[in-house]
Amino acid sequence: MPRKLRILVVDDDAENADSLAELFGMDEHQVIVAYDGQQAIDAFAANDVDVGFFDVMMPRKNGVESFNEIRKAHPAARIYFMTGYSSDDLLAEAMKGGALGVFSKPMDLQALLNTIEAEAA
Amino acid sequence: MHVKGELNMDEPEIPGRLDDAAVNGLDGKTYLTGTNTELAETRQREEQYRALSETVPVGIVQINEAGTIVFSNPLFKAYCGRDGAEEAGEELLAKFCDAYAGFPGVPCKFETEFVVPGSSTRSVIVISSGWRATGSGKPSAIVSVVDVSEMTELRRINEDVRRLNRELADNMKRLKAAQDELVNKGRMEQLGQLTATIAHELRNPLGAVRTSAYLLERKVKDKGLGVESQLERINKGIVRCDNIITQLLDFSRTKQLNCQAADLDSWLGHIVEEEAKRLPSVLAITCSLGLAGREAPFDPSRLQRAIVNLLNNASEALVGQGDDPAKFTNPEPQLSISTYIKDGGVVIEVADNGPGIPTDVMTRIREPLFTTKSFGTGLGVPEIEQIAMQHGGRLDIHSNPGNGASFAVWLPLAKIDAAAEKAA
Repeated sequence: MPRKLRILVVDDDAENADSLAELFGMDEHQVIVAYDGQQAIDAFAANDVDVGFFDVMMPRKNGVESFNEIRKAHPAARIYFMTGYSSDDLLAEAMKGGALGVFSKPMDLQALLNTIEAEAA
Repeated sequence: MHVKGELNMDEPEIPGRLDDAAVNGLDGKTYLTGTNTELAETRQREEQYRALSETVPVGIVQINEAGTIVFSNPLFKAYCGRDGAEEAGEELLAKFCDAYAGFPGVPCKFETEFVVPGSSTRSVIVISSGWRATGSGKPSAIVSVVDVSEMTELRRINEDVRRLNRELADNMKRLKAAQDELVNKGRMEQLGQLTATIAHELRNPLGAVRTSAYLLERKVKDKGLGVESQLERINKGIVRCDNIITQLLDFSRTKQLNCQAADLDSWLGHIVEEEAKRLPSVLAITCSLGLAGREAPFDPSRLQRAIVNLLNNASEALVGQGDDPAKFTNPEPQLSISTYIKDGGVVIEVADNGPGIPTDVMTRIREPLFTTKSFGTGLGVPEIEQIAMQHGGRLDIHSNPGNGASFAVWLPLAKIDAAAEKAA
């Protein structure tokens, strides 16, 4: 029986964030939603997050900046990125910093659910 | 009438005129033997010829069969230098002999150069009459030496001006090409920024639509609502939108290629095999890969994009979407992929037995945004050409209306050969 995860979904596009939260919630995972980079840092600090899905381009603080800050405090943080379009350099920086992968929007949902399943195993 | 043994030998420069005899006529005038030419008139003519030979800007020399100079004018002497010494004249004539086989015996005209002793190099045209019998019956040749140094200099300057003009025209052409490239690059950068923004702004809502459709699908599953086809339509729409965005992003991409040397046939065979699964099954696809393991430098992701476009275009030209045989342009649609070496490069050619490309379409087929389809961005062919050109290659399109079309991407092998030489 796969365990239930605490998942942090970060996206300034509320439609995206909320629909993903609903998708993960259907499988009874606990989902926390943040709508910008700073909220993501705060949410990660306040919750025992198993895995995070971060958008890249966001106001205030982009996904990679907040990821870098989170990794300083939580070196084992497991974070994936989701992007509509981002600079290759920014994504390369994230991968170098320990990100686990990048999903291109509109995301291949089967691949996303397989990832969740693997994280829960 | 008696022979007057008075010969004029004081002016040996013009021989053969008065070296025979003169007679006194009964009228008190002196005549040349056997003629009615008056001696005084002849002397007058002689003076005229002498003046002419001394002032004409042509070196004149008369030479006999023995190679001896019989006569030379002051200019010819000046060309010889050494105050016109006879040996100097013969040396100069020897140079002319070297410059033209048969000189001076055969009538000829040629250009040559010589150095006037103690002076400059002269470019001259030498004209010889060839051996001709003179009044005395002994053959001699009259040789004219025309100085064309200034003309040669003018010709050289003219050639220089022409060459510089050609270079200027070439440079102007290069400058124009560089300006065009710069403008094009600027436009492409603008297009790239615009496309990136559009991609970001559209893919986010597309993501939400896809996730929501997926949620709906799960929620209505096993409830018999019969909305499967509608959901499938939504998903197909999302894929189509995403493909258009990807194509725009690829086309506006100005980044450097990431070329690697690889076995092109092996790579291509794999790509075609994968793509064939996606293309309508009614297509008869044949591969004739003839590079025999030859490696070529290419960017796999960019070239794959070009191959996919080529295959899609050929497939659509043959069978449209592949779902309606009435729309097939050939009841036995064939698509062939071949590779071969040509002009120091490799060619990837995709040919079909469809209707070919009408002339009016052919003239515009490489234009971005030009399309004859009811769907599509009109970037397919321009993108293939762009990818070929980014590799330093080109796209050749051939069509015989009614008998199919072929698209050939030519990529140079030079880079890999240069790399191989360096490695060796």
